Amino acid sequence: MRRISKFGWLGGLLLLLLGGVARAQLLFPPPEFESGYRMPVTTTPPGRALWLQYLDVGVLAACLAVAVWLIYRPRSRRGIFWLSLFSLAYFGFYRKGCICPIGSPQNIAYGLLHPSYSVPVTVVAFFALPLIVALFFGRAFCAGVCPQGALQDFFLIKPIKVPAFLEHGLGLIPYLFLGAGIAYAATGTGFVICRYDPFVPIFRLSGSFFLLAAGVSFLLIGMFVGRPYCRFLCPYGALLKLGSLVSRWRVRVTPETCTQCRLCEHSCPFGALREPAPPGAPAPIPGERRTLGWLLVLLPVLIIAGALAGRALSPVAARLHPTVALAELYARQQQHPVVYGVMTPEALALARMAEQPGTVLEAAADLRGRFRLATAIFGAWFGLVVGIKLILLSLRVSRTDFEPDPGACFACARCFSSCPSERVRRGLPVVTVQPPVPAAASALAK
Amino acid sequence: MKPEFKLLDRREFVNFVSRSAALLGLAKVGSESATAATTSAEQTSTNAFAYDVSRLQKTDPKLIAYEEVTRWRSPRTSVRQIAIGPGDQVHVCAGHYISVFNPQGQPAAEVALTGPADSLAVASDGTIYAGLRDHVEVFDAKGQRQAVWAAPDRKSWLTGLAVGKQDVFAADSGKRVIWHFDLAGKLLGRVGEKNASQNAPGFIVPSPFLQVAIHADGLLRVNNIGRHQVEAYTFAGEFEGAWGRITTAIDGFCGCCNPIGFALLPDGRFVTAEKGLPRVKIYNHVGEFESVVAGAESFPENARACNGLNDCAHGGLDVGVDGQGRIYILDLVTSEVRVMKPRA
Amino acid sequence: MPNPPKSGQVNPVSRRQFFRNGARVAAMTGLGALTGVLATRGTAAGWVWQIDPAKCLRCGNCATHCVLEQSAVKCVQAYAQCGYCQLCTGFFAPEPNELTTAAENQLCPTSAIQRTFVEDPYYQYSIDENLCIGCGKCVEGCLRFGNGSFFLQIRHDRCLHCNECAIARVCPGEAFRRVPAQSPYLLKSVAK
Ligand code: SF4
Ligand code: SF4
Ligand code: SF4
Ligand code: SF4
Repeated sequence: MRRISKFGWLGGLLLLLLGGVARAQLLFPPPEFESGYRMPVTTTPPGRALWLQYLDVGVLAACLAVAVWLIYRPRSRRGIFWLSLFSLAYFGFYRKGCICPIGSPQNIAYGLLHPSYSVPVTVVAFFALPLIVALFFGRAFCAGVCPQGALQDFFLIKPIKVPAFLEHGLGLIPYLFLGAGIAYAATGTGFVICRYDPFVPIFRLSGSFFLLAAGVSFLLIGMFVGRPYCRFLCPYGALLKLGSLVSRWRVRVTPETCTQCRLCEHSCPFGALREPAPPGAPAPIPGERRTLGWLLVLLPVLIIAGALAGRALSPVAARLHPTVALAELYARQQQHPVVYGVMTPEALALARMAEQPGTVLEAAADLRGRFRLATAIFGAWFGLVVGIKLILLSLRVSRTDFEPDPGACFACARCFSSCPSERVRRGLPVVTVQPPVPAAASALAK
Repeated sequence: MKPEFKLLDRREFVNFVSRSAALLGLAKVGSESATAATTSAEQTSTNAFAYDVSRLQKTDPKLIAYEEVTRWRSPRTSVRQIAIGPGDQVHVCAGHYISVFNPQGQPAAEVALTGPADSLAVASDGTIYAGLRDHVEVFDAKGQRQAVWAAPDRKSWLTGLAVGKQDVFAADSGKRVIWHFDLAGKLLGRVGEKNASQNAPGFIVPSPFLQVAIHADGLLRVNNIGRHQVEAYTFAGEFEGAWGRITTAIDGFCGCCNPIGFALLPDGRFVTAEKGLPRVKIYNHVGEFESVVAGAESFPENARACNGLNDCAHGGLDVGVDGQGRIYILDLVTSEVRVMKPRA
Repeated sequence: MPNPPKSGQVNPVSRRQFFRNGARVAAMTGLGALTGVLATRGTAAGWVWQIDPAKCLRCGNCATHCVLEQSAVKCVQAYAQCGYCQLCTGFFAPEPNELTTAAENQLCPTSAIQRTFVEDPYYQYSIDENLCIGCGKCVEGCLRFGNGSFFLQIRHDRCLHCNECAIARVCPGEAFRRVPAQSPYLLKSVAK
């Protein structure tokens, strides 16, 4: 790999030099100055240094390690709180949110399908590290490293319980968004996940009005609905959720035995705590089996229906690609000519296309073909997600303790201190009254 | 049908239906707002920073005194200059070739060159002089190479040639000078360098478009493009006068450097070609504006003269005149030749 | 750290545990394979966005669509290509009253171009990047009438290196592309 990249480098340099020479020969010489005037050189200020980018990866890894440690060893909400504030400052306000793991699946998809774009090491690291951690320890990234999460968490004041059907229904959107992000990246359209990130404009303190307004609304909603973006939109959260479902170790309210005192029941602001299976007689197994059987039959139907629906939507979806949009603008212009202003983007784009309408139309047709495939896969993916969700809902509960759903749990450590066994274990005074609703601020007052 | 649904418990079924309905609704709202957003963006699109010359691109029709006879596209691109030889044969230098056409535009001959030519002149006996960047190559009327002259200077960039009875003048945009040769290529002198004793102001050449012509009055004419003037010199280099004024108005020369090309009508009047606002105009023998041959609206493609090119040495127009006073306009962007004659 | 399995629930838990372990191993293998594939592609240190000056159409979006309040796109001068014209059509409005630096004669909406006398008849034109908003007006003026030595570039000391450049997706010339971070500019001409 080293050799390849080194050679690519050299080739690039060579090309650059050759190009430079060819250009220098073409160039008409500037005047010969007699006054000894020396021509300035066009400055080329460099971008962010490479070592700083590696530092970002280092900070990410360190934060993840600290988060895991805080969750499993001291089990400290206070520690997680401070860590998340640090991450908010570093990844959010200092690094201004780019690049972050949330957008990274798009780079991976784009890189896989566009060989000319080699995915930078740093991006691969941002993509893989939180996922690997999730596969072993759950969503430690969400708990203390993600600046978007930290920002929302900070605004959480009085969480209300989201009705189960909404929780599950809206919970499907992240998979939808993830699929769309990957489909648009794979077709080379752009990175829609980055485009519609509501918090990055807040980190930058500038951005489009629409996005700033969206960010502020998310924070306002987030005062009552814990982490609305994380739960109902974040595409990377969807990946982390899948990873955490099979994680090696799980976040628990207490490592001690659960006495089923129900004191922790309402301590999770994100509705992640699950009741144990009701004691006594379980539901008759045959009925359940039959439901499961039908759902298994339904699964391929859902996938096929999704693929067909996706394919039907492809003309609309393709419109987001600039080349397809230009081809459509051109076609509309042929039928109903509109006069655009002097040097407006539309006028210029149309003039550009008029030089070689054939090539643009061909490219657009090719793209539409790709979109048909991409949206069909996207639809099938969503059918699969819905089907699996239904199957999971119909599976019998095997929990014996109150414990967080590993997929939904952000590992924020809020519930720990509500458990009397845990308090005893840690030598804290046992409160008999339900503690006030946990918010970011009250985290310190345990 | 019925029993299957019973297998799902009722609550789940309701949940499923409501979820799908909500999702469908969301998708609909989403797609609607997306189309609304795209269409509204379309209508409100503006460019507050437009560099708007559309007003200047319109020519008063009353000023236009010429009409088009015919036009043709040169089969070879990268055209640079046009020159009319004996028998009104049209010579165009295009990349590594000189293409010869009859006055109707039928290809008559082609001369292959060793490099791209930027300038061209045809003597009355049909001898072709081509300026290849820094040196002149001479071909007989059949296209056989007769001579290759030495480059007068390392920095030479020959962009204009004029042939008289015994003299050849080469306009050098690189060295900002007119070289004076005899017909055998011997260097006789230099014209137009800044020189107080000869009153010569010196050439200002921001882009490679310096040209030279021999007027019937026996003086040289040079387009000093950076001063927006046509200047007159004796063969010995004495400055004899100049005319031309900087303005985007129709009677002057626009931009940083114009006129980029000119030719002489048989009666001694001037045909000028400009870039930026691509237009061809007639001035009388003392430089007073007379009429327009073709205005900027006639060359829509030429407005993007510089697009995609590293320097702007390849846009604009060049002009030639034949024995009957017809004007040949060479469009350097579209490689088209247009033949214009005075309006009846 | 690990939670001890509860007694009496051994069967279902271990079956699930088995599923989970399998899935985890599969996921790790997948991730490993993915990184492997990406690594063989020759992983560059990184990419940054840049404008190809040959494709830019001077539409004005660069001034208005950057995520930064003050666009990271600025006009730059390719000195070796400049004619040092007295009447710089990138500096002066199409029909200036007189060739002075008075603001009403200037083309630039923010007077970001500095005109300095070099020697008769030549003037140097440079950009004050703190004032330039990247509108491209001067670029069009210079291209149309001059030598085309002004052109727009993303300045990497200002650019935030967005994963998706907000201007790139509205550029009518599709002039934006990712370039290797080691050579982050697409300059118009190289100085002699
Ligand atoms: S958006 Fe594109 S065309 Fe418009 S000014 Fe910027 S680079 Fe040029
Ligand atoms: S118009 Fe362009 S080439 Fe001429 S002086 Fe101005 S910047 Fe330089
Ligand atoms: S005209 Fe626009 S692009 Fe040019 S210097 Fe001024 S602000 Fe910058
Ligand atoms: S990458 Fe971001 S900061 Fe840089 S020019 Fe584009 S929008 Fe502006």
